[in-house]
Amino acid sequence: MEIDQKPALGWDTAAKIAWRELRASRTKFLFVILSVAIGVASLTGVRGFSESFQKTLLDQARSIMSADLSARMFRLITPQENAKLDALAAAKGVERTSVTETVSMASLQGDPVPLLVSLKVVDPAKYPFYGTVILNPAGDLRTTLTDSSVVVDDNLLVRLRAKVGDTLKIGGQYFRIAAVIEKEPDRLTAGVGLGPRVMMTRTAVDRTGLLQAGSRATERYLFKLSPQSGKVGDARGDLEKILPDGQITDFRETSPALSEGLDHATGLLSLICLVAMVLGAIGVGMAMRAHLQQRIDILAIMKSIGARSSDILRIYLLQTLLLGTIGALLGIALGLGVEWALPFFFGKLLPIQPPLRLPVRSVSAAFGTGILTTILFCLPPLLDVRKIRPSIVLRKTVEGGDADGKMSVWKRIRENQAQWISAVVIVLALGGIAAALADSMVVGKWFAAALCGLLVVILGLAAVTLRTLRAFLNKTRLHLHSALRHGLANLYRPGNQSAAVLAALGTGVMLILSVFLMQHAIVNRMNSDATTSAANIFLVDISQDEVQGVKDLVLHQPGVQNKFEAIPIVSARITAVDGVPTDQLKVKNYPKRLLSSISLTWADAVPEGVKVTQGKWWTKSDADGLAVVDHAARRLNLHPGSAVDFASGETIIHTHVVAIYKAEGEHVFARSEFVLPSGPLKGLPNVWYAAVHVPSKQIASMERALFAAYPTVTVINIADILDTVQGVVHQITLVIRFLAGFSILSGAIILASSVASTRFRRIREVVVLKTLGATRNRIATVFSVEFVVLGLLAGFVGVIFANLLTRVLLHKMEVPYHPEFAVSGISVIATAVLAVITGWFASFRILGQKPLEVLREE
Amino acid sequence: MIEVRGLKKSIRNGNRTVEILKGIDLSVPQGQFLAIMGASGSGKSTLLGLLAGLDAPTEGAVLVDGTDISQLPEDKLAQVRGKKIGFVFQSYQLIPTLTALENVLLPYELNAEGGDGKRRATALLETVGLADRLHHYPVQLSGGEQQRVALARAFVVEPPIVLADEPTGNLDSSNGQHVLDLLTKRQREANTTLVLVTHDRQIADRADRRIFLRDGRIVSDESGKQDGNGD
Repeated sequence: MEIDQKPALGWDTAAKIAWRELRASRTKFLFVILSVAIGVASLTGVRGFSESFQKTLLDQARSIMSADLSARMFRLITPQENAKLDALAAAKGVERTSVTETVSMASLQGDPVPLLVSLKVVDPAKYPFYGTVILNPAGDLRTTLTDSSVVVDDNLLVRLRAKVGDTLKIGGQYFRIAAVIEKEPDRLTAGVGLGPRVMMTRTAVDRTGLLQAGSRATERYLFKLSPQSGKVGDARGDLEKILPDGQITDFRETSPALSEGLDHATGLLSLICLVAMVLGAIGVGMAMRAHLQQRIDILAIMKSIGARSSDILRIYLLQTLLLGTIGALLGIALGLGVEWALPFFFGKLLPIQPPLRLPVRSVSAAFGTGILTTILFCLPPLLDVRKIRPSIVLRKTVEGGDADGKMSVWKRIRENQAQWISAVVIVLALGGIAAALADSMVVGKWFAAALCGLLVVILGLAAVTLRTLRAFLNKTRLHLHSALRHGLANLYRPGNQSAAVLAALGTGVMLILSVFLMQHAIVNRMNSDATTSAANIFLVDISQDEVQGVKDLVLHQPGVQNKFEAIPIVSARITAVDGVPTDQLKVKNYPKRLLSSISLTWADAVPEGVKVTQGKWWTKSDADGLAVVDHAARRLNLHPGSAVDFASGETIIHTHVVAIYKAEGEHVFARSEFVLPSGPLKGLPNVWYAAVHVPSKQIASMERALFAAYPTVTVINIADILDTVQGVVHQITLVIRFLAGFSILSGAIILASSVASTRFRRIREVVVLKTLGATRNRIATVFSVEFVVLGLLAGFVGVIFANLLTRVLLHKMEVPYHPEFAVSGISVIATAVLAVITGWFASFRILGQKPLEVLREE
Repeated sequence: MIEVRGLKKSIRNGNRTVEILKGIDLSVPQGQFLAIMGASGSGKSTLLGLLAGLDAPTEGAVLVDGTDISQLPEDKLAQVRGKKIGFVFQSYQLIPTLTALENVLLPYELNAEGGDGKRRATALLETVGLADRLHHYPVQLSGGEQQRVALARAFVVEPPIVLADEPTGNLDSSNGQHVLDLLTKRQREANTTLVLVTHDRQIADRADRRIFLRDGRIVSDESGKQDGNGD
């Protein structure tokens, strides 16, 4: 017989056949499309939210420095440096402004008593780049601060008994006090300065002649990046090259609470996005699997009338691709709709803005992920097409070794080679998508590992459990209630989807619970970090004999908590590092002048707000030891073991670095970069700095009381800045909770639809049972038994892996992990309940169907 | 023509192996109408499935026009089915999501190149009396109408062989008669080899030849029409 080699079915014919089928059973396909859409929508929504929130958050974080980057220097920039900065501005759009800080004497017109003030010279046209200077009476800094006026700290009015509108004399020139500074956004990052703040313009200060060459002034250059400037880190690198002795800081370093909050938010949001992606993929995969399984009979018919496996592959690949595309587009519309609509409802609660333009990145990521997962998850059932025997159109027999369970594992692996390969491809591709979507590599890596581990364990567990169940049923068959027996037997009937449902449910539970546990731990940690009792007032220049008196006075003020942190400050200079004299020292972005005005302090145990990152703190007051704050250590190239020589007056101190530490900005120890044991500093002249928390409303009266008793002590008020930090941290926790809730909810919906997708295979069974006289209750009981077992099993494995993943991720984020037994227990039960409810819900319509309708379709 | 040599088939059902065909030898010349008879479980449908290459035999060979189709890989088998063999099932096996016309068109689209399949499919549906049912879905058709669609589908690529598995088994007698008339008329006109499985003696009597199966073996082989009824 001659059979000429027929060319493969044309794509156009395949498309035509695929389209016809789509058109014919719209409702069934709608279900598939909706499953894809929900997955893609949750990915679009979560990513979009997370992007818009991070932008808002970063803007607020920038306001604490008033800039993206700052360079602190003790000199003006040279013309060469200026030219380079101009070039940087032209090439990358890095805008700059300078802020000069110095001290001077000021007095009220007609009052000869002068006061030491801390002058801040700004260009109100540019300063601040982020955030606003809040004035009282309310006004814009650009119009309020002129060349003939100043804006001042409330503390200055207290001390000089002045009021807004009075005239201040500085450097022989007169300036009108135009307003009181209520909030200076970059107060936390500005120098400590002596005396209350007076802000003026550059022209004004030039008129006073205070800024002569060699005067004790600090220059801070503030930089604002534009979209073409690239990443903060890159711009920082450029600036470090241009200004080698400038102390460059970026906005992420301004407050440890804030940078930690940002890190946690990034990590958690990455996790949430990944979870959305995998849950979406599970939804897509389960829908496609169910879709193709229902079509096995049709595929057999097609084969019996001459369709080749490759023809069928072509037709169904096109069909699934079309379904995936429609679903993905619908999902994107849904996700964007939610993203645009939600700020209108929750705008007051959440710091999110509706996106102004199409978030192309998150949309294309969601679309690509939707299509890719659709294709990936279609592979295994499509590859199964080759195994469909057309003879099932004649007789539905169960053949092959699967039924008797005697086939060797290796034979099965060999027979299912294509399936294994496609499984590996799916896991690798999911890992790839995860890596591409994750902003946090740590999260991406561990997430992929946990996912693979879970899949291996859960599929293994499914096989073992089902086998055990079968052995158990063989022994106890007739002693069990028939509905229970039937329900359990359903779990391993031929062609069942127990393993797929288990994998989907188990993965879903792991992901959802991980998000919950992570957000729970992180929110708790952030709330305890940003306690409202953090010091918000700094007291500077307290003499040795004033310390006790100041402490008593402050602690007796109404509302002040019984916590008064004070550190002694000894002025010193560094003379040599590792035997190299200071003038020959090579330092990285550390103004050398700072080496000759070092603030030393002492502490015989690790002070509050200090975290040792390298080495070990001393235990004896006369030990040889030096602790250095991490950023100074990095710039001076110090590490445990480095020898440092200090000189304070005539006293020389030889010491060695034993510890490197991180300081939390809200604590008073953050004001010092070098800490020694008390022994070596004994007897040296010193002043004290103190920090205390005073309720915002009490600050003004406390300042007045303090001024009356100790007029030389300067008060620095950072209450407003702390409010900003706490506000941002609060918003982070709020958004984390919101997004976690959103992803948990959409995850539950997707999982429910995965369970529901098994319903079509039940139709035939329901019909047969009904024909045999089973009531709906009886059928519902049978299904419930099946779903309870699936739910409990999946819940159990999912909970274990969720705890493992959370533990690893929290450990990496340096957040303590506490096992949540109650939550874990509830999750296992909730999974079973979810499985049963969705199982019922999905079977409801089938249960009501007349058997004849189904039989007629057979 | 079809040649069957030492054909055996067993299947696994759970832990049991059931031998359905125990050694069949059979030769069917071109244009012959062969009826296969036997009780339920005698192996009729299995034999038919093996003739169509819907399944592979455990032992033995099925030669269609001299080619042993039992040795062909799945894709080649699909081609044989698509070009050489039309199939009519007892339970119609129409694709529920396609209209009558699309169901008939499908084998043509899968197997034939060029030509006007649509015109041919429409004409075939007209000859089976379904001119006004072209765009109906299977569920909207009666059993007799569904089987007539299946007949049209079996003949659309003009295969030299048509296999029918109790094609009237699900139909009432008048519908069954109608379908059978159409089938035999078409077979004669196109000189198609027709192999039909039935346990209805009256239908079998219309065939050129009858074989009887019992327990997976041919127990009788009769030639010649038994009466002049029908056509």
